[in-house]
Amino acid sequence: MINFTPEEKRVILFLLIIAFCGITLNNLAKLNYRVKKLFCPQVYLARIDLNKISLEELIKIRCLPVKTSQRIIAYRLQHGNFSSLEALKEIRGIGDQRYEKLKDIFFVE
Amino acid sequence: MKRLPFSLAIFYCLGIILVSSIKISFWFVLGSGVITFAAACLSFRNNRIFMVLVFLLAFILGGLNLKNSYIRHNCHINNFVRYKDNTIYNLSGFIDSDPEIRGKHTFFVFRTQGVQVDKLMWRCCGKVLVRMDFPQDLNYADNLILRGILLRPYGFSPGSRSYRDYLSRQGIYLVMPIKNSLQIIPQLNKGGSRLIIFSLWLRSRMEQVIKRYLADLPAGILSAMVLGQRRAIPWLVNNYMVKSGTVHILVVSGFNVGIVAFIVNLLLKIMRVRRKLRIILTIICLLIYCLITGASNPVIRATVMGVVFLLAHLLKRDADIYNCLACAALFILGLNPRQLFDVGFQLSFSSVLAIIYLYPKIKSFLCLDNCKAKALKFIYEGCLVSLCAWFGTMWIIAYNFRIVAPVTVLANILVVPLATLITLCGFSLVLCGSFSTFLGGVFSTTTAMLITLLLNINSAVIKIPFAYFYF
Repeated sequence: MINFTPEEKRVILFLLIIAFCGITLNNLAKLNYRVKKLFCPQVYLARIDLNKISLEELIKIRCLPVKTSQRIIAYRLQHGNFSSLEALKEIRGIGDQRYEKLKDIFFVE
Repeated sequence: MKRLPFSLAIFYCLGIILVSSIKISFWFVLGSGVITFAAACLSFRNNRIFMVLVFLLAFILGGLNLKNSYIRHNCHINNFVRYKDNTIYNLSGFIDSDPEIRGKHTFFVFRTQGVQVDKLMWRCCGKVLVRMDFPQDLNYADNLILRGILLRPYGFSPGSRSYRDYLSRQGIYLVMPIKNSLQIIPQLNKGGSRLIIFSLWLRSRMEQVIKRYLADLPAGILSAMVLGQRRAIPWLVNNYMVKSGTVHILVVSGFNVGIVAFIVNLLLKIMRVRRKLRIILTIICLLIYCLITGASNPVIRATVMGVVFLLAHLLKRDADIYNCLACAALFILGLNPRQLFDVGFQLSFSSVLAIIYLYPKIKSFLCLDNCKAKALKFIYEGCLVSLCAWFGTMWIIAYNFRIVAPVTVLANILVVPLATLITLCGFSLVLCGSFSTFLGGVFSTTTAMLITLLLNINSAVIKIPFAYFYF
């Protein structure tokens, strides 16, 4: 027989625990859709809601100058909430290049 | 002297710092080195004087190596280009890095072998950063002829922290913008190293496995943690982690290298491979892993430390952690002494040094060994390691990034054990997912759950009042 060290035994136990957790979660997700939230990260964890962000927060974003940030807020006040990210292109100062960067930062619900 | 390599490394670094801060001729440094060497040879029998001269020699060697790194070869591509030059150059050579896609642009390092201007052609050497404005399928080691103008990189910010300085530390002094596919002429033969080609192929296979089982966001985070590929990390996630001081978990470090060594050793043990051969094969795997992850400073540090540890084990000698760290520093700074001014290098070494120096001292001061409750001891130790690493890196982060995050200690206590589990799950996923779809699916669910938990904790932690502040 192969003699495993305590560390190696722990590894085997660890792998079994991961497999056990995975199977349990998969089954629970089949029974209840809400469980899926546990292993599918919500979009707000990786992107900012364009309709909720404040001017102070917008200014802190690196690829957005202050004036463009002000124009985004002004647009939101004038036209109401953004219906899609494409609407950002209508704002002066946001061309194709900047839009490409911004679409990875924001989302619209 | 037990820690001779460590002392030599310190003197070597001091030499680099001194020579970088004063104007001094290369020949003067070389002359003083020769004199010191001669004096060391003459005082061979007097141990004390000999040691002092050896340290002085290490000091001079650091400065000499730095001076030497500033001197470019006669046929360096930079010597062909004049200031504000609009000449069209034809460069022949091969791609020396994995092409990186950022938005609409593709960047890669091009190692030049020949340059042609009008009808004149010369052999040349040196690296050029190529920026393409369109997508094209290119790989490491592809031989190409590039046609275009050569520009000096723009600095963006003054001082030693500028983009130009960052590139020059990597031996890049010129940028070639490519706007049209007609400016690229592919060649049939291949350049580059076969080992790197193999490592990159292995990395792409591993990335495919991760992407097959996980959604975009968890896959991006896992790729960064296991393979050192950070391109798929969203801006917001990176920003939150910088603010909470946990961004180090997205970098491949000593922990990952340790896991690779452990897994390889375990698998070889199961296959009943002999001890000596097992250690040699583990060292080879560590080197391949270093290439897979892009051979950044933290990975090289960890790999060299790991290799020194394993070699000591092979030779049945005790490995001193300070000496291992010194070997890693001397290895990196021997190849490129300007890496001493790289923030990544400074953070990597200062955090390890702070942990290995402060941790045992604080632990014995607080008499933590007397604590019998295992869970409590685990938490105490976790807090201490985070505190030591934070203390070691806080000054560098504050100076370079103008941010102080008191929440770092708390965030690391919560995030680091989780990141450890994610890394372990990630390696299990990559290994098992390559062979079995069922096992891949099972491991991926747990991994995704842990990553979701990590993101939630991280975004919650930075919302605590006074969690971080810029100055």
